[in-house]
Amino acid sequence: MVPSKESVQSAAYSDCTVSLQIGSVCCALKCKDASEYDLAKRLYRDFLTEQPADLTLELEMTSRLKPDDVSEALPETIFTHENGNRFRTSSQIISGRYDLANRIISITAEKSLGDPDMEFNYINRLISLAYYSACKVKYDGNPPAMLVHACGIIRHGKAIAFAGPSDTGKSTIARLCGDQHGEVLNDEMVLISRPDQSGNGISAQSAPIISDISPRCNKAAPLHCILLLKRGDRTVVHNIDKAEAYLRFMRQIITPVYIGQKSGRAVYTLMADFSSEVIDAIPIYELEFNLDGEALWQVVAELE
Amino acid sequence: MNDDERGRMMTVGRIVQAEDVIWRRIGDEIVVIKDDGLATHVLNKTAAFIWEMCDGKCGIDEITSRLCERFDVSFDEASTDVREIIEKLIELGIMNQIEETAGG
Repeated sequence: MVPSKESVQSAAYSDCTVSLQIGSVCCALKCKDASEYDLAKRLYRDFLTEQPADLTLELEMTSRLKPDDVSEALPETIFTHENGNRFRTSSQIISGRYDLANRIISITAEKSLGDPDMEFNYINRLISLAYYSACKVKYDGNPPAMLVHACGIIRHGKAIAFAGPSDTGKSTIARLCGDQHGEVLNDEMVLISRPDQSGNGISAQSAPIISDISPRCNKAAPLHCILLLKRGDRTVVHNIDKAEAYLRFMRQIITPVYIGQKSGRAVYTLMADFSSEVIDAIPIYELEFNLDGEALWQVVAELE
Repeated sequence: MNDDERGRMMTVGRIVQAEDVIWRRIGDEIVVIKDDGLATHVLNKTAAFIWEMCDGKCGIDEITSRLCERFDVSFDEASTDVREIIEKLIELGIMNQIEETAGG
């Protein structure tokens, strides 16, 4: 049977659209051509879904700059909002416009940002913006889970989040995990849920966040505890004051701004409430960590 | 403002939390966050008690009396603590004094 013209067009459109599951929201990534589509499918293979999209990202990849120029520009690059509904990065490697009423964000990005040897921070930043924007349209800006700067590991059916800024050992922990100590959710960011209305507990879930180490599995598990990482001369767990835990955890939340929103009172109120809910429900400790694997799994086992 | 004027103002003025802060009670302490997210402050048990009293309705004397009841300390002792803490919170920009004169 020869397909009608309409059904052929529909198939072509569908073929270039990848739908990503990010926690409980779905973002459709609409690509301009097959190579972009292949790249997106490869990068996010474990997060593809058939669910209807809460938000559509129209993606156009350009090659205006050489990869070396992009690489050089990245450290200085910051996101800025322009007047109206437009945004861009200072180095012009990403730009776009948004129409949240119609659930669409159009993004133009340098193609080399998807290269394996490129820093993925800006693609990850776009994913976090897309996630919080989808939460804006689906949950009226009240995300049921937040992205947290942490390495998440599932052990014995429960998740442990090792939260901390860069260079505190998150990727090292993922590397040390191997196959025998647990399953890595992600070594850069994980989604941590709030307790739901029926009182179910907090869970940690992987998100389509790209890093060199994470296997990009899409799994979730009840959150057992949070360990706030601090580099030290030994590997040992410390109890910490609740207010200190609250603040240190809050600083690891990826700021829940949706596209077009300026960070401010509403955003910090969300973060403050989320941190309160988490520290009331989940034990939080400080993990002084000297990058020693044997000591690490020993102290983790003592917490289980 | 000299010390006498300052003392008089602090006695009669009502104290109110700054509008541009978010705060949460965490156990015995209170965490105050400026809403630009750049500054955070942790208030200990005594400062937290005073903070919660500073709703714009109470003056220093009333806060001091309540502190005496709560922590079983003398009025003079509590008064010094309350003034010092409130001065510090005002200095940090997280609390304001509603200016009133004695007759006002």
